[in-house]
Amino acid sequence: MNRLKKLLGHNETYLGAVIVVFALIITIVNPAFIKLDNLFGLMKSSSGTAILAIGFLLVLLTGDVDVSAPAIAISAQYIAVNTLIAIDSNSLLLAFVIAIVVGLVYGAINAFFITTFKLPALIVTLGTANLFHGGLLEFVGTKAVNTGQLPDAFKVFGHASIFDLTRADGSSYGLSIFIAVVAVLLLVTWLILRFTLMGRGIYAIGGDAESARRAGFNIKRIQYFIYMYVGLLAGIMGILHISLIRYGNPNYIVDTELLRVIAAVVLGGAVITGGKGTLVGTILGVTMITILEKNLVLIGLSSYWQQFFVGLIIVVGVALTHIQATLRSHHKVVVIKSQ
Amino acid sequence: MGELFLEARNISKAYEGVQALDNVGLSLGKGSIHCLVGENGSGKSTLIKIIGGVVTSDAGEIVIDGGHFHHLSAIESIREGIQIIYQDLSLFPNLTVAENISLNQMVERRTQVVDWKEIRAIAERALVELGEEIDLNILVEDLSVARKQVVAIGRALTQNAKLIIMDEPTSAITREEVDHLFEVIHRLKAKGIGTLFVSHKLNEVFEIAETVTVLRDGRKVGDYDASDLTNDKLTFLMTGETIEYHPYTVDSQVVSEPPVLEVRNLTRKDEYTDVSFSVRRGEILGITGLIGSGRTEVALSVCGLNQPHSGEILVESEPVTIGSPRKANQLGISYLPEDRLTQGLFQHQSIGDNTVIAILRRLLSKLGLIDWTEKTRVQDHWVNELAIKTPSAEVSASSLSGGNQQRVVLAKWLATEPKVFFLDGPTIGIDIGSKSNIHEIIRELARKGMAIVMISDEIEEVRNNCNRILIMRKGRIAGEIEDPTSVDDAEIFRQISGKNGSEVPRT
Ligand SMILES: Nc1ncnc2c1ncn2[C@@H]1O[C@H](COP(=O)(O)OP(=O)(O)OP(=O)(O)O)[C@@H](O)[C@H]1O
Ligand SMILES: [Mg+2]
Repeated sequence: MNRLKKLLGHNETYLGAVIVVFALIITIVNPAFIKLDNLFGLMKSSSGTAILAIGFLLVLLTGDVDVSAPAIAISAQYIAVNTLIAIDSNSLLLAFVIAIVVGLVYGAINAFFITTFKLPALIVTLGTANLFHGGLLEFVGTKAVNTGQLPDAFKVFGHASIFDLTRADGSSYGLSIFIAVVAVLLLVTWLILRFTLMGRGIYAIGGDAESARRAGFNIKRIQYFIYMYVGLLAGIMGILHISLIRYGNPNYIVDTELLRVIAAVVLGGAVITGGKGTLVGTILGVTMITILEKNLVLIGLSSYWQQFFVGLIIVVGVALTHIQATLRSHHKVVVIKSQ
Repeated sequence: MGELFLEARNISKAYEGVQALDNVGLSLGKGSIHCLVGENGSGKSTLIKIIGGVVTSDAGEIVIDGGHFHHLSAIESIREGIQIIYQDLSLFPNLTVAENISLNQMVERRTQVVDWKEIRAIAERALVELGEEIDLNILVEDLSVARKQVVAIGRALTQNAKLIIMDEPTSAITREEVDHLFEVIHRLKAKGIGTLFVSHKLNEVFEIAETVTVLRDGRKVGDYDASDLTNDKLTFLMTGETIEYHPYTVDSQVVSEPPVLEVRNLTRKDEYTDVSFSVRRGEILGITGLIGSGRTEVALSVCGLNQPHSGEILVESEPVTIGSPRKANQLGISYLPEDRLTQGLFQHQSIGDNTVIAILRRLLSKLGLIDWTEKTRVQDHWVNELAIKTPSAEVSASSLSGGNQQRVVLAKWLATEPKVFFLDGPTIGIDIGSKSNIHEIIRELARKGMAIVMISDEIEEVRNNCNRILIMRKGRIAGEIEDPTSVDDAEIFRQISGKNGSEVPRT
């Protein structure tokens, strides 16, 4: 009973229910949706969004917004791939190392401006996003990397799977290795948030930054950690992205990912003013957005609806958290009494 | 005084337009119980924040256990064994009670990996020490102010402190909880742990203090042995004036039938039962009782914030349903909440904006735009009327001292000029000098025909200002005092607690 009550108190439960209902409807319209190979495909193609969403959540928990992650991701990707091509290397590991280093450095640049000038992260990252991306186009290049030029390591990685299954017609499909990457990142982030003082500090800052300072938390250190972690995630995402589509364009990711990521995290119940939000919610949010985007066409809606729905989700999501907060404060009296 | 633990030497601190502290010194002995008193805005919290390393002083130094600090950081101060209960409590609303109590200790000990069992254990121990029971899993934002204060006190006690500084820790908690706290302070003293205590309730100061330091306008007036002081003398040292109290008598010309507000058999399950009362124009009706007696809950119901399950509310003899605070406002009922700093104040807005927010409609010119001359007039009027200590009404509310922030919220609701005004703890955190000033404003409103319901813990406050007092106990009206001048505080206290003994009230 108590457990049920607790479950009903969570955003995630409702979002989960909505996803199930939605999936059922789509299955009725198109039974192929629920087939394992389709689901595996969806998971693979949404893993990049999931990784960026994890980072976005972390920043949002402190009550800030980092909009530079997509720009970092594409920069990391493009620099890594071009370096590999230039030195004629086929090492995936090296690609990851370069991308991650770029991510960490760019994250540190964000953190430097945010902590030194005590500016809101939104303002700083709006600036650095253009700085990073503009710098990339100006100093690294604007040419696309086509499939032929792309080192094989990426293609192999993009095709690798954790396990394979066979269809009725004898062809096989598998669960992409990307899922393992996302799973590991989720686990690590969860451990950090739940079991380290750094993680609790992130929640504390989101609850009341001044109180966190008075408690003796090293806010600067926490912020460096967060923004560099976002950079790291963006770097990894960049490599996954090019391995997935096997084509590199320095204008990818920047335009497409940001809104989707924000929508997913907000839909997942994270509060825009900080302090509240969970990884489970965020992943459910990504799931919902992915299903929505990939299946609108199925239901007979044009792809312009995609944009419309993502916008709608952000607006409704924000409104819902606000309404919930109001409801909570109305219930407060009851809680005071029932202690 | 014995051996010194902490010395603040020649501390000065200026904010834009205000000299918050001017060459102030403070010496605290090991294990001593020291009180810091002064009017609102006299610099108490600023001095405390400097000792806590969260505000940097312009001049002066802090000496702790022989170590000299010019720029103390928060974590240094904590590691030197100083624990502070800040006036605004500095809790984390989004975290549970357990974590709020334990987290700071983890920071201090440089813990890297969090052990959730330990978090609970630390919190449990702290609450046992205080004799309190609070659900450890509840979020702090869902607690009443009193409970929040208990959590903040618990948090300070769990750490290995050598000095605990409490900046008005008792403004919202009840007598019983204060007693517990004082026991703890004495126990700490026995272990050599000192306390620096700030309160505007002078009876508490006299009860606990060994030494009293008085500040006025950022300067130190002096250090005194508590035994050398009397209530009047201390008031004089703080304010430079003597304050007298006269009971409130209603002007029978104004008090007219029928009542403006009548409540009949109001009941809300688990909170209060069968509550009936009425209030007429010109009356100041007091409602007193322990926390949990249902007094605040009833007020919330009448003000549209807590739906009653049964019963009737009549405004000017018309039965009404009050489903929201908005509806209450339309009917002319306003409510000054108990938890003013979180429920009533926009910290980052200016004092003026905070003051007029509830009456913006009235400030519109014929064109439907805000009339700025009128706005300025209204906000300046209230800044003067309530003697809010600020260089200008245009500065943000966050720059005010705690007591002055309280005044801004009070001003906001006073400006609405309602027909019925519920005041929950009207003078919480307000210094002794200004209390009588605020009481006078309330009386003046009543004289002009407003019906006032004053809810308060402070027996003296209701006895001196109300022409009628209702006493609530366990969700019911347990008694009514028609003529407060005819009873003494002890009698009221007896009725509140429902005890028959002749326990002396210390409120
Ligand atoms: N951050 C700030 N910016 C500007 N002025 C400030 C700031 N903090 C405090 N002050 C000013 O410094 C003076 C002293 O404030 P302080 O909070 O120390 O008073 P206090 O003695 O604690 O009063 P109270 O009893 O009301 O809590 C006040 O005039 C206040 O307005
Ligand atoms: Mg203060």
